[in-house]
Amino acid sequence: MRRGMGLWAAALAVYAFLYVPLAIVVAYSFNDSRLNAEWVGFTWHWYDVLLHDEAMLAAAGNSLLIALISSLVATVLGTMAGIAIHRYNLKSLTFMVLTPVAMPEILLGVSLLLFFIQVLNLTLGMLSIVLAHITFSIGFVAVIVRARLAGMDESIFEAARDLGASPWETFRYITFPLILPGVVAGWLMAFTLSIDDFVITFFTAGVGVSTLPLHIYSMIKIAVTPEVNAVSTLLMLLTLTMIVLAARFAPDALKGKV
Amino acid sequence: MRSSWAGATMRGCFCVTESLRKSTPAARLNRYLVGGPPFLFLLLFFVVPGFIMVLASFRYPGEFGGLAPLSAADPNILQGLTLETYRFFFSDPIYSQVFVKSIFMALATTLICLTMAYPLALLIARSPKKSRDLMVLLVILPFASNFLIRVYAWMIVLGPQSALSQLVNGLLQGLGMEPVRLLFSPFAVLVAMVYVHLPFMVLPLYTNLEKHDPALLDAAQDLGASAWQRFWRVTFPLSLPGIFSGSALVFIPVLGMFAVPDILGGTGDMLIGNLIKEQFLGTRDWPFGSTLSIMLTIAVLLIAWFAAKLAGRRGSYA
Amino acid sequence: MAFVFLVQLNCAHAEDMLHLYNWNNYISGETIARFEAQCGCRVEQDYYSDNEEMLAKLAAGAAGYDLIVPTGNAVEALIRQNALRPLDKSLLPNLHNIDPAYLNTLFDRGNRYSVPYAYTLTLIGYNSEKIRELDLPVDSWAVVFEPRYLEKLKGRVTVLDSQRELLAAALKYLGYSVNDTDEAHWKQARDLIIRAKPYWAAFNASSYIKELTVGNIWLVHGYSNDIFQADLDAQKAGRGFRIVASIPGEGAVLALDSMVLHKSGPRPDLAHRFIDFMLDGRNSAELTNLIGSGNPNRDALQYIRPEVAQNPAVFPGKAQQARLEMLRDLDRHQRRVLSRIWTEIKLR
Repeated sequence: MRRGMGLWAAALAVYAFLYVPLAIVVAYSFNDSRLNAEWVGFTWHWYDVLLHDEAMLAAAGNSLLIALISSLVATVLGTMAGIAIHRYNLKSLTFMVLTPVAMPEILLGVSLLLFFIQVLNLTLGMLSIVLAHITFSIGFVAVIVRARLAGMDESIFEAARDLGASPWETFRYITFPLILPGVVAGWLMAFTLSIDDFVITFFTAGVGVSTLPLHIYSMIKIAVTPEVNAVSTLLMLLTLTMIVLAARFAPDALKGKV
Repeated sequence: MRSSWAGATMRGCFCVTESLRKSTPAARLNRYLVGGPPFLFLLLFFVVPGFIMVLASFRYPGEFGGLAPLSAADPNILQGLTLETYRFFFSDPIYSQVFVKSIFMALATTLICLTMAYPLALLIARSPKKSRDLMVLLVILPFASNFLIRVYAWMIVLGPQSALSQLVNGLLQGLGMEPVRLLFSPFAVLVAMVYVHLPFMVLPLYTNLEKHDPALLDAAQDLGASAWQRFWRVTFPLSLPGIFSGSALVFIPVLGMFAVPDILGGTGDMLIGNLIKEQFLGTRDWPFGSTLSIMLTIAVLLIAWFAAKLAGRRGSYA
Repeated sequence: MAFVFLVQLNCAHAEDMLHLYNWNNYISGETIARFEAQCGCRVEQDYYSDNEEMLAKLAAGAAGYDLIVPTGNAVEALIRQNALRPLDKSLLPNLHNIDPAYLNTLFDRGNRYSVPYAYTLTLIGYNSEKIRELDLPVDSWAVVFEPRYLEKLKGRVTVLDSQRELLAAALKYLGYSVNDTDEAHWKQARDLIIRAKPYWAAFNASSYIKELTVGNIWLVHGYSNDIFQADLDAQKAGRGFRIVASIPGEGAVLALDSMVLHKSGPRPDLAHRFIDFMLDGRNSAELTNLIGSGNPNRDALQYIRPEVAQNPAVFPGKAQQARLEMLRDLDRHQRRVLSRIWTEIKLR
């Protein structure tokens, strides 16, 4: 049991490491001072400012929409890629899925920008951001799904096939439930990556479409006010609600059951 | 370029699938149905743009940014293709120094992330199923806030008036040592790098550890293995794919990161990411920026290949 | 389906819309609202925080901006790229408000393409109390570069994370022009910077405003409007000190931001209206009152709050004005050499 205690202590320390800076972000969103430096007093002021800041709200809305669409598409494509790599040993696909992960973001951003403008002649905007986000998310989903598949006992797939299941049935009733925790983890990661991406979005965003990271970055020059803390707090609350709702209405999706 | 690094993370799946790859026409069709869509998408949005970038590294920078035209009417304007940027890169050791420094930073970040993530992932994987989702959620939740604001949070935590700074400097003073500055230092960069990338280590590790069969550990215990032996001889080798996935997901983004050194770094914390960003957003020297990026990609593949070799040897002991 | 929706979003532009690509926080919300009411159109803004960032994006083909507000050297680059639309001055009756000292500059002779908007200076900003206690001279770049002064300020100084600006300050201190392109002089400047670097806390372009206000950083090489902001914040937070700007005797960089029309912009008519609107002293003064930017508009002075107007960094006197220089654009070879020097500075 001593070992269990050690694990708990280590895990608690890691959780503390994750949450202390965050607690400060949340606390300072209620701080009655323009500076993110020391506690002055409690106020709702920054939430009020936020509710009247159309540009910030529009940027937050864009971010959420982009993250939802791109993470869903990336999850579908990434799961397919993960399965294909695992089952069919497609070397070229492996390479294509993993190299975007292995590249500095800035390169992907600039190359996509050149491509959108010079080859596709696409007007930069929502669509270009979504396409860019899908591109870099696929690899992360595929890696996670593949890790889930690796080392899994393959005999059940063969058994299913021997019992006359079609490939689709094998996937629907055997493979998919088995990899579901990986798929959900991959989706969450794609969502997180998308909502937070700055570099690639910076290069692929066009006239009049801003996302939250872009907007916050543009505020940095003037010094970040607690309004940014307020929007971060709300964003976290929203994500939390989303996940709780998902757990309530589709318990299986989160229950990593094997 | 046949992705030996991918081989590292993909290790272990090829042998198992060997028996399954019967080349019936139906199987081949499935293969295209499953692999085709992601293949086509990435071909269009990754390979083609990547090729454009490779081409860019062989071009001249435009006088005002961007790229010089491939052919121009004015003979005074540099045009066409050249190895100039590569010559520039290799003629000057300073760029390799930036690479080495960044690789050390990435290694340190990866190792610290692994050390912190492993116990957490193990604990989650061995917790009752009911609480697992919540524990995973708790790892991800901080990352629903904005990346820049998380980095800013560390500015507050590490600032000279913070509790942490005062504690550290109080201790140092007690030991009769010079006070240190936590903010604007390599230490600050490292802490934030770990913070920002930690979930990318926890998630794959957890996904892997979660599916280990507890019967294996019971069997090992029955055979008289100590807790340490059970971990080292059973759990750890089985978790290698997770470790590799996680390490790749941490190591590589760190190499391209520029915002963290920008915000928290001091006067000497330039990494490759900063250098590359500078070429595109500061110096307007896209060909050299592309060259640096290509060099970085090659360095990553080399390291991965090396890691895969090492892992192959390590794995054979298990 | 989602994509169809997105494509529609992409082209959902209203009929009368002016696309403005501007610095962050470089126009007051009230000014925008008043213009929108006056012209019956909407103003859509995108922001940049660095000229190079804006140029990079335009070089990559970003399009659709009617109006941009670049700094002089970036105006020069845009003109030479043939990316700008010539101005129709008959549509700009308020142009006579501009102080002739800011017209007909090196980067746009005859103002064919650009009209001055506002300017900032790159100078020394400091914590009044700390610097008084330490008794340091703030009328020279020496306080930023000389170890004998920096010893008292170790870890309390930040300099701009900008190749051109830092090099310019070092060149000025060494007695050269900010536009000196002699590599030997650059190397001298590099050595000066490397010698001073151990005493600096960071190269910082973003958070020094806050660090000054909080009192962590005591002296900066920074932009006049940032120092103005830091002072406002320090007063508002009831700190016991002021943040003061000082133009070093050796001279400093003047960055004149001008309004230009981008060729890709679909509404030059609205852009002209906007320019003339901003040339009105009252609208121009609003910006200076808000962020403490220098104002080239003679008509604006009457609308500027007296305490702002007295700030030498906002309106430098004639003698100081003579020592200010604008940065010229570098050619591609010079840019690469400078980047190499910068890498060395950062790595050492």
